[in-house]
Amino acid sequence: MEEDIDTRKINNSFLRDHSYATEADIISTVEFNHTGELLATGDKGGRVVIFQREQESKNQVHRRGEYNVYSTFQSHEPEFDYLKSLEIEEKINKIRWLPQQNAAYFLLSTNDKTVKLWKVSERDKRPEGYNLKDEEGRLRDPATITTLRVPVLRPMDLMVEATPRRVFANAHTYHINSISVNSDYETYMSADDLRINLWNFEITNQSFNIVDIKPANMEELTEVITAAEFHPHHCNTFVYSSSKGTIRLCDMRASALCDRHTKFFEEPEDPSNRSFFSEIISSISDVKFSHSGRYIMTRDYLTVKVWDLNMENRPIETYQVHDYLRSKLCSLYENDCIFDKFECRDVTLEASRENSKPRAILKPRKVCVGGKRRKDEISVDSLDFSKKILHTAWHPSENIIAVAATNNLYIFQDKVN
Amino acid sequence: MEVQKEAQRIMTLSVWKMYHSRMQRGGLRLHRSLQLSLVMRSARELYLSAKVEAHEPPEVPSSVARSPDPRLHPPREAQAAAEAASTDGEQPCPEPMDTQEAPKAEETPARCAPRPAKVSRKRRSSSLSDGGDAGLVPSKKARLEEEGAEEGESAEVPERLQAPPAQAEGAFPNLARVLQRRFSGLLNCSPSAPPTAPPPPACEAKPACRSADSVLNVLVRAVVAF
Repeated sequence: MEEDIDTRKINNSFLRDHSYATEADIISTVEFNHTGELLATGDKGGRVVIFQREQESKNQVHRRGEYNVYSTFQSHEPEFDYLKSLEIEEKINKIRWLPQQNAAYFLLSTNDKTVKLWKVSERDKRPEGYNLKDEEGRLRDPATITTLRVPVLRPMDLMVEATPRRVFANAHTYHINSISVNSDYETYMSADDLRINLWNFEITNQSFNIVDIKPANMEELTEVITAAEFHPHHCNTFVYSSSKGTIRLCDMRASALCDRHTKFFEEPEDPSNRSFFSEIISSISDVKFSHSGRYIMTRDYLTVKVWDLNMENRPIETYQVHDYLRSKLCSLYENDCIFDKFECRDVTLEASRENSKPRAILKPRKVCVGGKRRKDEISVDSLDFSKKILHTAWHPSENIIAVAATNNLYIFQDKVN
Repeated sequence: MEVQKEAQRIMTLSVWKMYHSRMQRGGLRLHRSLQLSLVMRSARELYLSAKVEAHEPPEVPSSVARSPDPRLHPPREAQAAAEAASTDGEQPCPEPMDTQEAPKAEETPARCAPRPAKVSRKRRSSSLSDGGDAGLVPSKKARLEEEGAEEGESAEVPERLQAPPAQAEGAFPNLARVLQRRFSGLLNCSPSAPPTAPPPPACEAKPACRSADSVLNVLVRAVVAF
């Protein structure tokens, strides 16, 4: 126990070195659950905040459900790897909800090295009338007990508890960049820069390595894994994207180690667009399956591409997201913005196949702001790169988007009625 | 010239970023480091190809004009490089980050890559009439360039070799020089090697693995420590 306290002291002194107070609030991931009732956000300080949508009451029909804080808990703490003399950041990289199977909610949250399964449950009743304890919980002297009673459940103020149910640690040498729950709801995978591991939810001390792209000689390293996702229906199929702009589809039935892909998706590079930064901007930052599982959507720095799984040589659609940045790549490189990773968010992919307003639908980040400004004829130069939006989430069934800008969360709802 | 300056600026910027990324929380990020090294490699290639193009026609008057410039720039930049490098204690391979004062640069290639350094030194000495400690001190490099330019066609390849070192400016002059020497080593190992500088037979094997990326090698060596 004392060791833990010391660790925390050491870590805290690290933390206070720079202006950490506000940095810890920066939201690093946003995710709706499957019904859209709950919205989870993870921040750089290792906290998870869950918002719940208000039930629409009869007397306020015109007001759509608002999201209020439901639960807050500290998911990850900063750690120190003594062997490598490295700090392990507590920043939450990804949150994934499990489908609801009972009254409690389950989610996976991960930092760079450790994945945790959290159970979020409500408690609105508490037992009263214990025999051996009094109301404050103090033990009663058995000699004073003359009668026996059965404790009764009495209603209390709603309390939401979050408890860590599983901790999946020590399986990744490199930094975890994505997690994905399998459609069998028994397994999930975690992907770092060079390896992907398959876990069973019940087993925390073992994982299967299913992809390993680490070269024997690290000097020959040319690409890393950037994102991975399971197929929504086929529990044996998954895809992973690389920093070279390629996507590989793998079938776990083919072999235990899926180093040889089943399908390989790559678009030949347009030589006219070559620049110093071609390799950086072609790196895929996120990959998502469509609901049907027939299409995948990938996001690199300047474009969003939609691929048909049956066609590997080029995407079926390409959307230029902020092409106006293409001329600004150099200054983006200087202020590190070129390394930003954007996410793919579009649940209604099939419906939006006609290219109506792709920007508005697909990726409401800085692009929205930039787009509006352009209509008002303000130049690209005035775009404030510090006001960028990197994390968004789309409600699974309604037109509600949650947008995270540094340490603020904005929820936009469609005013249809 | 503009292209060269831009490429050089991006190269130095990349090195700076790489250096600073090692100090951030969470340790070296593999993906980020890979991206930085890719940018650096493309900047370097562009820089060198632009330089090769610029030096194809022998430019005697311009080389004379260039001679005072290298003398002015490197003293200031070598100092900056030394400051930056002195805090860099734990770099496993001493190659590019080991930016000491200009005279010590001779040692870096010798320490890390005996064969290419030998090759390049051999070539330099073969093309230089006076031999000796050439190519590292700016004033001597400028003179080298003039000689190379005057020699004409028979010394076409050595001239190309001399040209890059003369232009090794920037915040990390020795880094750029080492990189250029490496790249020049690759250039000279092509079948059309001149008789004046016969490359050792193993030179062909070396570039094959080193052509991947010398900078990447160094960088990844740091990562391998993880």
